[in-house]
Amino acid sequence: MVMGVLRYILIITLVVMAGFPVYWMATTALSTNAELFSTGQVRWPQLQNLPALIGELSKIPIGRWLFNSGVIAAGTTIVSLVLGSLMGYALSRFRFRGRGIAGFLLFMTQVLPEALIVVPLYAMFITMGLLNNLGGLVLANAGFSLPVSAFILKSAMDAIPYEIEESAAIDNCPRFGILTMIVLPLIMPSVAAAGVISFFAGWNEFLFATTFLLDRSLWPTSVGLASFIGQYETPLSTVMGAALIFSIPAIAFFLLVQRKIVAGLTAGAVKG
Amino acid sequence: MPELTFDRVCKSFGDALVIDEFSATITDGEFLVLLGPSGCGKSTLLRLIAGLSPITSGELRFDGELVNGWEPRRSGVAFVFQTYALYPHMTVRANIAFPLVMDAFKTWYHLPIVNSIARRRLMKSPAIAARTQAIARQLELDALLDRRPASLSGGQRQRVALARALIRNPSLYLLDEPLSNLDAKLRTQMRSEIAALHHKVGKTFIYVTHDQVEAMTMATRIIILDKGIVQQVGTPEAIYGTPANTFVARFVGSPPMNLVPVMREAGRLAVADAVSWRHDGDVPDAEHLLLGIRPEKVVFGPEGAGPIAAQVAIIERLGAETVVGCRLARPGREAEPRLLEHDLVFARIPGNLPLRIDEPCSLDYRSTDVVWFDGASGVRITTAATVST
Repeated sequence: MVMGVLRYILIITLVVMAGFPVYWMATTALSTNAELFSTGQVRWPQLQNLPALIGELSKIPIGRWLFNSGVIAAGTTIVSLVLGSLMGYALSRFRFRGRGIAGFLLFMTQVLPEALIVVPLYAMFITMGLLNNLGGLVLANAGFSLPVSAFILKSAMDAIPYEIEESAAIDNCPRFGILTMIVLPLIMPSVAAAGVISFFAGWNEFLFATTFLLDRSLWPTSVGLASFIGQYETPLSTVMGAALIFSIPAIAFFLLVQRKIVAGLTAGAVKG
Repeated sequence: MPELTFDRVCKSFGDALVIDEFSATITDGEFLVLLGPSGCGKSTLLRLIAGLSPITSGELRFDGELVNGWEPRRSGVAFVFQTYALYPHMTVRANIAFPLVMDAFKTWYHLPIVNSIARRRLMKSPAIAARTQAIARQLELDALLDRRPASLSGGQRQRVALARALIRNPSLYLLDEPLSNLDAKLRTQMRSEIAALHHKVGKTFIYVTHDQVEAMTMATRIIILDKGIVQQVGTPEAIYGTPANTFVARFVGSPPMNLVPVMREAGRLAVADAVSWRHDGDVPDAEHLLLGIRPEKVVFGPEGAGPIAAQVAIIERLGAETVVGCRLARPGREAEPRLLEHDLVFARIPGNLPLRIDEPCSLDYRSTDVVWFDGASGVRITTAATVST
C-alpha cells in the first residue's frame, strides 16, 4: 500500500518535471512582453492574449518552416531506414572482409561532433550544388542518423533465427524478399525506434540548416525561431508560441509509434 | 524424382572436416533416415541436399544432373526444420500458402508495399486458397488457419511446418529432427503421422534424427553416420541384426547390443578373471574378440540353469518387460564395487520377474544369435555361422 502510494508520488513528480517546460512554454506564449519582463510574471496561461498571439504568428511564415522541417525529418527518416536496413542486414548476415571494421566505423561517425565537419561539408556541398537545398540537408542529417539506425536494425536482425530465412529461401523467396517480407516485419519495433531517432534528428536540425540554407523560405522552424533573437529585442511570446506549434507534429509522430517502440525495448526478453 | 546420388561428397568448415567422402544413392519413394549422434554431420548433409550450404568437394546429382551450387529454391525440395521455422508474423494460412504465393510472385512484386498487396491478392486467388484449405484439412489444421504460430502448441506448429512442406507437392522432403522438440507422447503420435504421410504421398523422404526408435520405426533404409563417416547403410532389420561395427551395435537398440570382450581358452570362451563357458559355434580367429548379442537374445535363468554365472546388478521394470543388467562373476566372488553400464550384460525378459539386486543368476545364448567383432578395429567379423548382409 505504502509502496503503491510512493510509486504514484514518484510518477506524478516525474510527469510534472517532464510536463512543466511545455506548460511554461504555453504560459510564456500567452503572456505579453510587458508581463514577461516585469517581476509580477503570471504563472498560468492568459487565454485572453490568444488572439494577439495568433496575430503575431500569422506575420511569420511558420507554415512554410514547419513544412521544411517536415521534409528534412521525413527525408532523413526514409533515407536512414531504407539504407540502414540494407546495411544492418549485410552486417548481420553476410561474412565479408572488413565486416568488423565497417561495424567499428559506424561508431566512429558518432564520435565526431557535427560542428567539426560543417566546414568540409560546406566545401563539398558547394561543388555538388547541394547548398541551399533541402535534399542536401537530408543527406547531411541521414549521414549522422544512418549509422545509428543501421546498428539498431543489425542488433535486432541478429536475434532472428537463421532457420526462418533459410525456410523462406527454400520456399522460393529471393534475398530481397526475405528482407522485406520476413526480416523487417519481425523487427518492426526496432524499425520504429530507429525511425523515431532519425525523425527527431531531422526535425530538430539546426547547425547544418543555419549554415547551408541561405534562403529564408527554405529554413526549417528551428532556424526560423532562432532568427527572432535580435540584438535589442526578442519577442519571447511569439517564439514560445511558434515553439509550441513546432512541438505538436513531433509529439504526434511519437505517439503514433510509441507503442511499437515500447515493444522494441522489451523485444527479445521473452522467447516468442 | 529423382534419384539422388552422392559421389564422394565432402564438407568442411575451414579445417574442420564434417563429412568425409559420402557416397550413396537414394531411390524414388524411399524413406531414408540419417541416423547418428549430435555433431556427426547428418544435418549438414541435409543442408547440402537443400542447397543451404555449399558442397566442398564431390558431386551431388538429382537424376544425373549435377546440382552442386544450386540455390535452395532451384532444387525444389521441401524442408522441415527442427525449430519448424514458421513465420511468426503471419497467420497459419499465410504460412502454409507462402511457398505457392512465392511461386506466383513476379520480380517487381518484391518491392516494399507492393509485396504486401500482391501477397494478399495471391492468397485470395482461388487456386491457392483451395489448395491451402485442402492441405490444412488433410493435417487437421482448418480450425487454426487464422491463428498465429505463437498461439499454437508444439504438435500443431509441427503440423503447420509439414503442411507448408506438402503444399508445393515436391518430390523430395527433407526433415531435420522434426520431432525433437515434442514431448514423448506427441512424438510417438507424430511419428506414426509422418510415416502415414510418407505412405500416402509416396515421395522420397530424407529424415535426420539421433533417435534410433524414430529411425527403426519409420525408415525403409538407414544410413548411420559418426564423425562425418558412414558407418553402415541398410534396412532397419539389417542394421539391428548385423551391425557393421561396434559403433552401430552400441548406437542402435535400447539397451544397446551387449559387447563382451572374450578370450578363447581350449574350446571355451572366458571373460578376464571372471567366468568361462563352453561355446558351441564357430569362433573367429582374432586376437581381441568382442562377443555381441542383443539383450532379447540373452537367456536369463536362475543360478545354475545356464553355463554363464552372473549376478543381478540393475533391474529396470518397464511394465511389459524387465531389463536386467548382470555382472559376469564366479559364484561366491566378492561383489564388484563399480557399477558401470559397459561392464554389464543386459537381458530383456518379458513380464515382471521378482528379482533383487545381487541375486545370483545364470545366462545363456544360442550361438547363431552371436555377432562377432574385432576388439581392436571394432569391425564385425563374418564367420561361417554368421549370415552376412
